[in-house]
Amino acid sequence: MAILTNSAVRVEPRLDKARHIKYWTRCLKTYLPHHYTGNDSNRMYLAYFIVAALDLLDALDTASTGPERKDHVNWIYRCQHPDGGFRMWPGTDFGERANETNAQWDPANVPGTYFALACLLILDDDFKRVKRKQCLRWLQKMQREDGSFGETLVRGQIEGGRDPRFAYCATGIRHMLRGESAGCISLNGQLVKDFDVDGLVRCVRAAEAFDGGIADEPFHEPHAGYTFCSLGAVALLGRLNTPDDRTTSNLNAPAAPQSVLGWLVSRQTEFTDPDSSLDTEFRKTGVAPNAQHAEGEHVSSSRGDATKQPIHQDPGESVGDSIFDLLVDGAGMNGRTNKVADTCYAFWVGASLDILKCSTLSDQSAVRCYLLGKTQHDVLGGFGKFPGDLPDLYHSYLGLAALSLAGSHQVKALDAGMCLSKNARRRLPKMWEAWAVEDRTDLS
Amino acid sequence: MGKYSVDPLWSDITPLPTDEGGPNPLAAIAYSSEYEECMSYLRAVMAANEYSDRVLDLTEDLIDMNPAHYTVWLYRARCLFHLDKDLREELEWLNETALEHQKNYQIWHHRNLVVDKLDDCTGETVFIAQMFKRDAKNYHVWSYRQWLVRRFGLWESGELEFTEEMLREDVRNNSAWNHRWFVVNGREGVPGVKDPEIREREIEFAQAAVGLTPQNQSPWNYLRAVAKKAQMPLSGLKAFAEQYASLGRPDSVCSSFALNLLADILAEEIDGKEKAGQALDLLASKYDPIRKNYWEYRKGQLGLKSSTPEAMVSA
Repeated sequence: MAILTNSAVRVEPRLDKARHIKYWTRCLKTYLPHHYTGNDSNRMYLAYFIVAALDLLDALDTASTGPERKDHVNWIYRCQHPDGGFRMWPGTDFGERANETNAQWDPANVPGTYFALACLLILDDDFKRVKRKQCLRWLQKMQREDGSFGETLVRGQIEGGRDPRFAYCATGIRHMLRGESAGCISLNGQLVKDFDVDGLVRCVRAAEAFDGGIADEPFHEPHAGYTFCSLGAVALLGRLNTPDDRTTSNLNAPAAPQSVLGWLVSRQTEFTDPDSSLDTEFRKTGVAPNAQHAEGEHVSSSRGDATKQPIHQDPGESVGDSIFDLLVDGAGMNGRTNKVADTCYAFWVGASLDILKCSTLSDQSAVRCYLLGKTQHDVLGGFGKFPGDLPDLYHSYLGLAALSLAGSHQVKALDAGMCLSKNARRRLPKMWEAWAVEDRTDLS
Repeated sequence: MGKYSVDPLWSDITPLPTDEGGPNPLAAIAYSSEYEECMSYLRAVMAANEYSDRVLDLTEDLIDMNPAHYTVWLYRARCLFHLDKDLREELEWLNETALEHQKNYQIWHHRNLVVDKLDDCTGETVFIAQMFKRDAKNYHVWSYRQWLVRRFGLWESGELEFTEEMLREDVRNNSAWNHRWFVVNGREGVPGVKDPEIREREIEFAQAAVGLTPQNQSPWNYLRAVAKKAQMPLSGLKAFAEQYASLGRPDSVCSSFALNLLADILAEEIDGKEKAGQALDLLASKYDPIRKNYWEYRKGQLGLKSSTPEAMVSA
């Protein structure tokens, strides 16, 4: 195995930092191209990608001036809902025509609120203008009886799927605005209830699938994005079971951390080309399953002679080659079993492993090679979804975030649980402390 | 002049443009003038709570450009129900829209609402088949199918056969494997694979799939899950696993998943830990080196020493 540790063989491509900064500065300073129109209602998360990426590249202060950053902060607060929480963009606010009867079409949005607060944190805002009490009260109303969270509240109805993305955002909001305390808290002399933490933990446990991953709902297919959101949520609640825990608690999740770990490490794959079928790789075995199927044979009634065909029989063309390919191409992460790698899953999987304190159990060097050598765009900067794709904000940010988790020192250290720089997250305790003093003063 | 501003049908409406609130807004988009106009008319009618035929047309237009707009879907649904529209027509429109926007999830939520209200799922599986032709692993579509099965009690209306059909197309389609698990075990009050007959049927099915594609993780995961849920000892799968990975023939392993299963089976045997370690070594060094650190970790959990101490460092 000496070949694997030989740095002369594994030549790692480098991050073209200047081009990435250029890409993100363009996103910050000029209009995004019209292709983003379909994301108009998700602008707050686009804003978060832009600000968080420039922060990871340590270029926030150089890409914009102080007064410009003040305008950015003002725009985020402009999206704050009068009754607490934030909108995803100003497009639902009716301004002068707003009234009680049309208020139903202008709800605060759970992910919108998480991304707004995260953005403010990165921009070093002091949260002074956040309607904290209203926001936390609204958040509590966003949870269903079964413990799951929705996206918006419209005429008393919680809208949006039973989806851990909303739960993750809810725990992030709770964390930023309440700190690490659980239960009722006093805010400006008024009691604010906590949401049902046990209920949320139960939801995560119920969605652990038969093969070890976590889905959005019980019996749905496990997915790396949902696995991250579920682990991230329970980690932010302080209710995480990790593989190294001697005993797992029924009050925590996941119920089977070892199975989740096994599923997560299985996500790393050398298959990076979405246009080539996975089957081609297995042709070496001499079995063409699809050809057999095409003849109309039933799965359970036909059997190939693959048992006699080793996957790596000829070391000349298999083992040596595959290791060599690995060194050149790297290996990314897929989001579900038997799918090809995609830039964003390098984050969803890498961050999940990091939350479980197992990040070194994947091949991080291969992840870096995949991102830098395959999906980084060498002209525009940023990252595409697949090799050769044009960059977009989503993959470009998650590519950077994943790179940080995979051990690159060219980007700032990332806090996996909140998907922003450790630097930014460290500002929270100071704010919690200030609030604690305020709240005590209110009570006396 | 945009198409709404010149249309007499809309002459009574004063459009309501979006107010960004100040200079340097974040993530501003270079909208087309069509979108900008459509949006400002939509905002005006929403602000007036108007429910009308022209509103339905307007929401269609907007959804086509921005299907992720979360309140426009709710607004459209209210409008449809308020006007008591023909929901079959709505489904036809939704079919086109879903085919155009494969990754959008609001479309499927809306479809749920409409089909639930119709209380009739005729034609739904035909449409789903069309979606699967384009992407047989579309997450929203599989989730929707589970909802249909539950909502309309379709457990025994050919659903198991449907999973077989999908797997005949692609035996590596993990979504289809997952759906099979759901069909067999997801119905409230049924024993699923805890029933010995069903257990045998499912084991046979998964083993046949392994026979076709030994290096396919889905049926191996399925086999393990059947054994676990049926509380069958893992050792019951030993002979099968050894057909694909045997320590006696370390050069002719033809499935890393068989080798992993074998490691787990050996680890449970009396004095089997060393042998389990050998299986894990083979995975780390030859058959699955990308996960080398994980296989070393597993050895550590068995109380075995790492054979390549530099493994953890090289990461």
